[in-house]
Amino acid sequence: MKELALYVLVLCTCFSCHQKQVPEPSVVQNPEIELSVPVGFPELNASVDKNPPTVYGVVLGQKLFNEKRFSSNNTISCGSCHNQSYAFTDQLPKAKGVYDRIGLRNTPPIQNLAFMRFYNWDGNILELERQPLIPIITHAEMDASIVEIIHKLEADPHYAELFEKAFGDQGITADRIYRSLAQYQYTLISANSKYDQVKRGEAVSFTESEARGYISFQQKCMSCHSTELFTDQSFRNIGFPINPSAEEAGRARVTGELEDLMCFRVPSLRNAGYTAPYGSFGQFATLKAVLDYLDTGVLFADNLDPILKNNGNRIPLSEEEKEDLIAFIQTLNDPFFVEEKEP
Amino acid sequence: MRTFITYTFILSVMCLLVSCNKDQGAEPTNRSAISLHFSNTFQQTPIVLGDAGSSEATMHISAMGQVHYFSELKYVISNIRLVQADGQELAYHTADLDQGAILINQANPESLDFLLRDIPVGEYQQIKFGLGVPAELNVLDEVKFPEFYAEVEANNTEMMWEWGTGYRFVKIEGFFGPDRQPLSVHTGSTVTGTNGEPDSYIQGVDAYRDIVLDLPVNAVVGSNSPRITIQADFDKLLSGQENTIVLSPENAQPNAHHTLDMLKFVNNLGGDGTSDQKGMFSVEQADN
Repeated sequence: MKELALYVLVLCTCFSCHQKQVPEPSVVQNPEIELSVPVGFPELNASVDKNPPTVYGVVLGQKLFNEKRFSSNNTISCGSCHNQSYAFTDQLPKAKGVYDRIGLRNTPPIQNLAFMRFYNWDGNILELERQPLIPIITHAEMDASIVEIIHKLEADPHYAELFEKAFGDQGITADRIYRSLAQYQYTLISANSKYDQVKRGEAVSFTESEARGYISFQQKCMSCHSTELFTDQSFRNIGFPINPSAEEAGRARVTGELEDLMCFRVPSLRNAGYTAPYGSFGQFATLKAVLDYLDTGVLFADNLDPILKNNGNRIPLSEEEKEDLIAFIQTLNDPFFVEEKEP
Repeated sequence: MRTFITYTFILSVMCLLVSCNKDQGAEPTNRSAISLHFSNTFQQTPIVLGDAGSSEATMHISAMGQVHYFSELKYVISNIRLVQADGQELAYHTADLDQGAILINQANPESLDFLLRDIPVGEYQQIKFGLGVPAELNVLDEVKFPEFYAEVEANNTEMMWEWGTGYRFVKIEGFFGPDRQPLSVHTGSTVTGTNGEPDSYIQGVDAYRDIVLDLPVNAVVGSNSPRITIQADFDKLLSGQENTIVLSPENAQPNAHHTLDMLKFVNNLGGDGTSDQKGMFSVEQADN
């Protein structure tokens, strides 16, 4: 349906060009894509305005996202870890890069990024265009360099055409690579789960268990997993088992603040059913394991989130509540979102 | 063939020389160089690096009595400025890391000397530089600064701070205590905001430190090329003006330096940026 709309849009644009008899027929029309903001979603990140997705910018971005020549040995693309079938995650506790090198943390899902104010588990990046350089240069990820990548892409005539369509000429630059990757990711909006359909009053309703789970969710989870993104985008230490790597300090490695030690961005619960394992380094194999841990009691820390501190370092949950909560969380799965789409 | 190439080469060099002469026209040669030498010490003792179990490494004892030595010692100098006797400031390729930044590596003696070229004739009373890279240039821009990028990226250099997409400013590896426990100090900035506008910094820490050093005697750039020896006294790492640090397994590994203790090391080495603008640095001598 989306593709059809796009097709019609492109056709219309072409048609209107003919009527106006634009003097340069060789110039490819590349209209902006209007992002449809789902009801109740927060405002777009200010970067989206500076880099609005265009039809061919997104086509290019998607192609680059799945381009294995981004890695030093041409084995890994962004999509290798960010696999759409699992809401752009990889089912691994910690990400795996070139030569099976294991990274520091769990691969974060890529969804609704246009609405996020912080990227990565520690929020070190505030503009999506500045993100791709990290996996490109990181030893345990792509272990490459942007100039090396530009050279590889320049050797492929197909890319010259794609860059021309997206940016007006054939120049392959770092900035254009970053911008098109971000444009593609801005279009990855997930808001068509059963939960959304129920909210929109479509012809579906929660099961009894899901409905009970929704009530428990509002009582016991929603202080952090709030808004229609199901995260308040804050950073919290909720006493999860600590990553043994000496590199890990959570949000504190960005801010240098003691109060941010081992704090991580509250994850969105959208598509959580597809993104196991859970936790900053995949400590928990299942949603049930997460809830069991919260129920049993978390690790104490001076900066443990007050909500947990004030509750004896736990979120007490009965077995039935856990079952119902999981049933509700599963309604946040968006099956349309995880369908592979051809560029 | 070879002769042909030689002649072509000689010819092009001659052309170049001729054109140089033309360019300079009426102005006589009024520029010369200043050479900088970096001397890394523990107090007055030059640092010798050594691996675990080394008998040659320079051992040092901190103010708190902790013995330590280094196996690796690297840091970045950028944003070099020279202040003339009349107070005028000359910026030396401060916006260009390829030309104006130095990667000091104690294991590579060549890296300890740096030539400031094309310095206008005159007397200079002060040198300013940064320990680290200012926020506006700290973005690992391989396209813009390929040479400096290649230096920091080279094998075993590890002066790229990958997750922060900036440079490491200081990287020290070594050992401390009677059991030779590993010592690892890494510093770098994580600051985010509009480049060069501290008011706009949204999050993160700025580990860049501006250093201001008076020269003991004015460096006279004329027919001579003065040589300025800058001493970096790593005694200050643990026994600084700002902080006296006791190493433990907790603060002697990178995660602590990314966060809570990093700024203590940063301020000891580079000063706090306000009252102390010297940190570990001093000018040992200026030879004209």
